[in-house]
Amino acid sequence: MKSLQRGITLLLAGVSGAAVAAMPDGAQRNFVACPIVRDTASVPCWLAEYEGELYFLTLQTDVSAPVNPPMLGHKVLVEGRRTDKPRICGGIVLEPVRLSVLPTLDANCNQLLPAEAQYNLTFEPPRPPGPSKGRLAFNTLDVQQAEVAPQRVEKRFTIGYDFEARVGFKHPALLQPVLDYALAIKATRIDIEGHRGAALLSDGTILNESPELARRRAQQVAELLQGAGLTAPRYTVRWIDAAPAPSGSDDSPQRRVDITVTP
Amino acid sequence: MAPPHALYPAPKVTLRWINPGETGGLAADGSYDNNQGQLGVLNAAGAVTATGHPFFAPLGSNGRACISCHQPQDAMSLSLNSIRRQWQVTQGQDPIFAAVDGANCPHLPQQDPASHSLLLDRGLFRVFLPWPPRDAAGKAVEPEFSIEVVRDPTGCNLHPQHGLHSAQPMVSVYRRPRPAANLKYPTHQNFGVSSFIGKNGLPTARDPDTGKPTSMNLMADARAPSLRAQAADAAATHLQRLVPLSKAQLDAIVAFEGQVYVAQQIDRQAGSLIEPNGPSAFGPRALLKGEAGVLGNNTSRWVFPMEGKWTALSRGNGAAQDARNAARESIARGHDVFMFRTFWIRDSMHLNSVGLGNPTKRTCATCHGMHMTGMDTANGWMDIGSTNLPWAREAPLNPWTTQKPELPLFKLTCRNDIAPHPFLGRVIYTQDPGRALISGRCNDIGTIVMQQLRALSARAPYFSNGSAHSLRDVVDFYDRRYNIGYSEQEKQDLANFLGAL
Repeated sequence: MKSLQRGITLLLAGVSGAAVAAMPDGAQRNFVACPIVRDTASVPCWLAEYEGELYFLTLQTDVSAPVNPPMLGHKVLVEGRRTDKPRICGGIVLEPVRLSVLPTLDANCNQLLPAEAQYNLTFEPPRPPGPSKGRLAFNTLDVQQAEVAPQRVEKRFTIGYDFEARVGFKHPALLQPVLDYALAIKATRIDIEGHRGAALLSDGTILNESPELARRRAQQVAELLQGAGLTAPRYTVRWIDAAPAPSGSDDSPQRRVDITVTP
Repeated sequence: MAPPHALYPAPKVTLRWINPGETGGLAADGSYDNNQGQLGVLNAAGAVTATGHPFFAPLGSNGRACISCHQPQDAMSLSLNSIRRQWQVTQGQDPIFAAVDGANCPHLPQQDPASHSLLLDRGLFRVFLPWPPRDAAGKAVEPEFSIEVVRDPTGCNLHPQHGLHSAQPMVSVYRRPRPAANLKYPTHQNFGVSSFIGKNGLPTARDPDTGKPTSMNLMADARAPSLRAQAADAAATHLQRLVPLSKAQLDAIVAFEGQVYVAQQIDRQAGSLIEPNGPSAFGPRALLKGEAGVLGNNTSRWVFPMEGKWTALSRGNGAAQDARNAARESIARGHDVFMFRTFWIRDSMHLNSVGLGNPTKRTCATCHGMHMTGMDTANGWMDIGSTNLPWAREAPLNPWTTQKPELPLFKLTCRNDIAPHPFLGRVIYTQDPGRALISGRCNDIGTIVMQQLRALSARAPYFSNGSAHSLRDVVDFYDRRYNIGYSEQEKQDLANFLGAL
């Protein structure tokens, strides 16, 4: 849309991505697998197998959960740390864990296991499979309220992404504070910088996000902010084409867009 | 060829049709019999004078008024019973059969009932939308998919003047009119409404008059951000009005729509639904009192509050009262099926894609969670398979049947430079692309804004494409789509509960 493009300057910052990847440390488990659903007497568990071990990924809760279940019909990129916590649904608990549903459809990912008494939960889940008791299981989706009269200072925001993903259902809670702050301080300038990442898997494989993704992320964020009414500031949109060398221990923060709001 | 209405029973109750321009009005508390009992229509602002009121006046060039397709007896929508009766009474001359959208396509011979078969068979009006889609400013949106017409039983989508390849390309889909009542719920400004759409992070449509984000729960494809915008659009298209409505006319229409509430108030088996000390979910006054735009998928507020009533009612008070109590218990059980009966919800776009996982073990109330209406509090378009193949109802094709497909079929191919639809891939066949005809997005193909679940007994058939002729058909669709395995008792109870709303 013409109005959306007005005032946007596109810059391309070419950064070389020389990468010598080290192997992830011993507790880290990064792998791509088909997710497995295990029913229980309460909510289902989400699991995945890697090198003969079964790992617990997460429980079904609700949209406010910090970790949302993946999807049958797709492989999932698992980035987590093995813990010594009691197994859940038979799986070794990964914590923290980050799950990225990979976009390609995969009909082989279709395993839904019935409930077995030995795998029932030994604790009350954050919410039952039906109606809750009147609250979200978590409140991480609460949109932060903008300060009533914020100081007019330059402020940086970071929008994180799942692997290969663009804006989705988690992002309103991240974009709203940017919008609120920029409107509150009558921002004159919005600088947006898009990044793409790579993930070092436990077997040494490096997964790179698509080459165009940094640009697409940056441009989409600009379009969304403008589409939400933030049209007054001047926008500078840039992106870093090269994905930095992944370490295997904390790769997900590379998948981001940085937004700097200037009074 | 048998007339289309031969498939369905004739209405058993006396209907009260209101013609455009009719004098008189509506009582503050109106009641209208239907096959399941009686509908209540509450005008919360008091009796309404129809004379000269823009909702009731034929404001366009084809003799229609808003009231034409939003009849009080049909819960401010339009039932198939009423449509057929009007065809019979007027011999097809009622303005609802106007060529523009009351026929399968304007070029067809208008005196022939076959030219109106989708309206007479399924209660569907033609909705014609520009291709490619247009944004709020009227500028073309670059769609994420291409569209081909695979099947065109109405002849409209390939017609040289009205079709996809005409000088002004249009896509014709066929949809049911929605109730112009209980509208504080679909237009709420409460939970789930913010500057960004909760299900995909895109900018929320704003009310052009107030500048505020909207709930985007009006219309099957959320193309109208406000009641004023909807009324203005409907005047230009459905009424074929040549000049815009005045501010005073829009004000009067929106004011009327904002104060009218509808719900079933008598069930023919369970008796009065609004007795003192009965469940507080029922009747139009419950909707007037209810809080708009709050989640009811919980045990502190409930979607449809029953307060545990109508369970284990007494027997031995005579056959009539025993039968009434049995019917009430069935409704209460149906409520519990709605709230608590879990099943695996799978491959439904904008439900399984928003953090619950695919599949998710949930209940009806997960999606139908808005207090008092069972709508989605957030922007509510979703693909349950009512229009997308392989789940949409299609005529069986074989050498032994004369049944022919009624609805068009489109093939949509998503571009290679975007992620494929997470459940349907890149090539999707659909009877109605739904929200995607507005947004141009691959993930929106076949998504339809869910409707309020109120006054259903007054306005069959159901789903946006009229593919469910009865509430039992609705239940059966879900049972098939999600492999629920409802027992016969559960099906009956759920249908009875829905019919009481």
